[in-house]
Amino acid sequence: MFTEHLLSIVILAPAAAALLLGLIPGRAVRLHRWLALVVSLVVFALSCLLWTGFKPNDPGFQFVEWTDWIPQFGITYHVGIDGISLLLVLLTTLLVPVVILGSWTSITDKVKGFHISMLLLTTGMIGAFAALDLFLFYVFWELMLVPMYFIIGVWGGKRRIYAAVKFFLFTMIGSVFMLVAIIYMAWFHHQITGVWSYDYLDFLHTAPLLATSGGLLAPGLLVFSAFALAFAIKVPMFPLHTWLPDAHVEAPTGGSVILAGVLLKLGTYGFLRFNRPLFPDAWDFFAPLIIVLAVVGILYGAFVALVQPDIKKLVAYSSVSHLGFVMLGLAAGTQASTQGAVLQMVNHGLSTGALFLLVGMVYERRHTRLIEDYGGIAGVMPIFTGIFLVVTLASIGLPGLNGFVGEFLILAGSWQGHPVAVVFAGLGIIFGAVYMLWMVQRVFWNPLVHEENRTLSDLNLREILSVTPLLVFIVWIGVHPNTFLSPMEAAVRLILTR
Amino acid sequence: MPIPTHTDLVAIAPELILALSAGLLLVVEAFMPRLRRYLSELTLLAVLGAVWARLSFELPGIVWAGMLKIDELAAFVDLYILVAVFLTAWMAGPFLRRTESDYGEFYSLLLLAAVGAMVMASSLDLLPLFLGLELLSIPLYVLNAFLRRNPISVEAGLKYFVVGAFASAFVVYGIALLYGATTSTNLVAIGAQVVGGGGLNPLLAIGVAMVIGGLAFKLALVPCHGWAPDVYQGGPTPVTAFLSTVPKGAALVVLLRVVDGMDLLHISPRWVLAAGVVAVASQTLGNIVAIVQRDVKRMLAYSGIAHMGYAMVAVIVAGTEGGAAVLVYLAAYTLMNLGAFAAVALMSEREDQPHLIGDLAGQGWKRPVVALALTVCLFSLAGIPPLVGFTAKFVVFRAAVNAGLVWLAVIGVINSLISAFYYLRVVYVMYMQPLPKREPSFAPALPISAAAAIAALGVAVFGLYPTGLLAAAQTAILGLVR
Repeated sequence: MFTEHLLSIVILAPAAAALLLGLIPGRAVRLHRWLALVVSLVVFALSCLLWTGFKPNDPGFQFVEWTDWIPQFGITYHVGIDGISLLLVLLTTLLVPVVILGSWTSITDKVKGFHISMLLLTTGMIGAFAALDLFLFYVFWELMLVPMYFIIGVWGGKRRIYAAVKFFLFTMIGSVFMLVAIIYMAWFHHQITGVWSYDYLDFLHTAPLLATSGGLLAPGLLVFSAFALAFAIKVPMFPLHTWLPDAHVEAPTGGSVILAGVLLKLGTYGFLRFNRPLFPDAWDFFAPLIIVLAVVGILYGAFVALVQPDIKKLVAYSSVSHLGFVMLGLAAGTQASTQGAVLQMVNHGLSTGALFLLVGMVYERRHTRLIEDYGGIAGVMPIFTGIFLVVTLASIGLPGLNGFVGEFLILAGSWQGHPVAVVFAGLGIIFGAVYMLWMVQRVFWNPLVHEENRTLSDLNLREILSVTPLLVFIVWIGVHPNTFLSPMEAAVRLILTR
Repeated sequence: MPIPTHTDLVAIAPELILALSAGLLLVVEAFMPRLRRYLSELTLLAVLGAVWARLSFELPGIVWAGMLKIDELAAFVDLYILVAVFLTAWMAGPFLRRTESDYGEFYSLLLLAAVGAMVMASSLDLLPLFLGLELLSIPLYVLNAFLRRNPISVEAGLKYFVVGAFASAFVVYGIALLYGATTSTNLVAIGAQVVGGGGLNPLLAIGVAMVIGGLAFKLALVPCHGWAPDVYQGGPTPVTAFLSTVPKGAALVVLLRVVDGMDLLHISPRWVLAAGVVAVASQTLGNIVAIVQRDVKRMLAYSGIAHMGYAMVAVIVAGTEGGAAVLVYLAAYTLMNLGAFAAVALMSEREDQPHLIGDLAGQGWKRPVVALALTVCLFSLAGIPPLVGFTAKFVVFRAAVNAGLVWLAVIGVINSLISAFYYLRVVYVMYMQPLPKREPSFAPALPISAAAAIAALGVAVFGLYPTGLLAAAQTAILGLVR
């Protein structure tokens, strides 16, 4: 009974908790914080049960739950996870308590609303990773939009409204076309089989039959493009990334962590879960374009990050670069590069999430994010400096930490088919090291010129606690990546053979 | 005309209850001053009585010598009209007291208008249809001008009257031409002649076009939309809530009867093109002009024009699928619009001033319940899942794609995207802008908050569990003439 519904409990518990929080008066600030933290920790514990109960050699979906939702149209509540979704669900449930703990003192206004938004967002994210019915997927996909809009718009920085609206509209541009594509695929499925269905497993049989020949207006290519547009905006791929720096810079720390850590992954996840197996011919058609855009994104993101005066903006552009690697790995499409890409999704979630968290901590003390306002704080905040350095090294791919494994697999796996792309992407790694280490040097080791920085207090216990889980996984993946590579191996193989 | 039978009378029991209550309310107003405070509650009782009658008596089908068809379709439409009247009457009580125009006539007129809409939607014959249309329109002329010391309300009433009379003339002239062409005023007979006898001759075509044109005024479709913003802005907000949902619903059902009865989708390719252009123009113009509005009610007027454009897509598809989509859209649109207008009715200081969006600044945290209700309704209007507005759009676009009209679905979703912009603006003004220094003094009113909250709850519940609504719509649509 419990295991049967375990996945649904993980998906829906945060939303239920959000409703509960809605009933508690907003004055009880501490209660809201503690309740949200406890719920998110329970959800993380439950998702660990998913992990331990997961059968790694089974390539299919596990913990499946399947009931009618809108029977008239063949729409079902169909959820399940394979090795790929498992990792991303774990990443999500890990980051949420981290974010709630990390926002403990930085969110002081409208605390109730913040936690309700965060919990609703959690349901949307986990649901989107687990949904196996495309209508359901779309609902979860859009469900994420509204709480994130509020998180950026209510608790964000100066230009928060602009950033929030831009985020909302950009994401919606992609998703509305995806909706028409989903409706069209269901119609097509009905034409062939005579059955109404929006199910992923059904579409796996019929969607590849959509015609891709006959020019750019062939239905197969158009439907592929509609999905690709939605996901490419979310990733974000060059040149659709312009919402990202705004959203990241204006979002509160917690919002940035979730945005970078999880929301961007939904784009790459969508490519792997839907575009690749549903439209194999169109995928082959568009793969060269994706590879070119991915490499351009890697280099462009790195160059722009290099000149950013604002730490948060620097990290935001580094995301464009890092996600370029993921897209390269997916588009190259070998077993190694795809597994590397999935692992890199998790890695980016951990290290960039940690970076945003750390930037948020120092911002809370100093109320500036400009690199030039810092300098020499290594001596003042030794613990902070140590942690920041570890995360930076993870982010630039130092062997022994998580980033190295993912990038190595992606580049090694892509080498066979796309050596030129790998050479350029390799340059991106070098630039990545340059802008990160240069930033670290200016912030932590340059002479201490600003007197305000002399009195900064080091991290307190709560802050250390909030970032520690991320460090644990950063080292764990770096030292023993097989723990994470083996559960997804079978699932990735199945997707690549479709 | 034969003497009405028992079945005939039972079939229109809800209409009778409402009409009698309308008379009774006038008597109460005149002779029982102590009951005057409870006029709103008495109206609610009458509506509940009508709901009970519609739900408990069996649905006989064609009655009144083939003039009315009381079936599942009529029941569906009646119920949603009654829900709209209920919420309107509920929010009207405190609103009229605040604006010092608490007279019994308001409620009688409201009930009579509802009877008109119900008759109109269940008519199989053009004559009761016209009767219903007039019974719906004339009380609304008065209701729009009900705040008689407020010039913009009087202006709204006058505008609605002039345009409405014009539209009625269209309809009645169209009816005359249809009668001339087919020697019948019965929609079934006319439809049979068109489908069976080789399509539309010019006389018939002009007649159909004039009837549809008259209905387009009621629906505020482009190019017959000009009256909507002024009338919405000036009328008392509860009346606007009613006006934006009930007449449109009744007109859409009539339109569906005409379009589906004559099978225009297959008989006249020109109709598909013309109606498609009207649908696209309504969506696009409504959404784009709504962006620049500063008055919430005007914005909702343009949003209403756009929404009727979406509904037109389903009307074009017609048949069981398009028909069911129209009904689902109506139900969804009614709930979210009523919720939105209830919230606007509450968050307004003076009726003779514009209801500026900027006045809502900071209300999200000041009045959490009403603001949340408004937010839910606006997100639903924008078509964000899992709210009923999304379900409705999904059903409409699905019908369009299944009928091979993918281009209409694509234009529809692009328009949803545009509309998100102005709905979002209201939301961010409420939640992301601080309260102004001089806080607007919105009088708290429990019934209005409750109406808004119930509508918003309906929006959420039907969005999460649309099965019942879809099943009801699919059953109801089987009762179309063809």
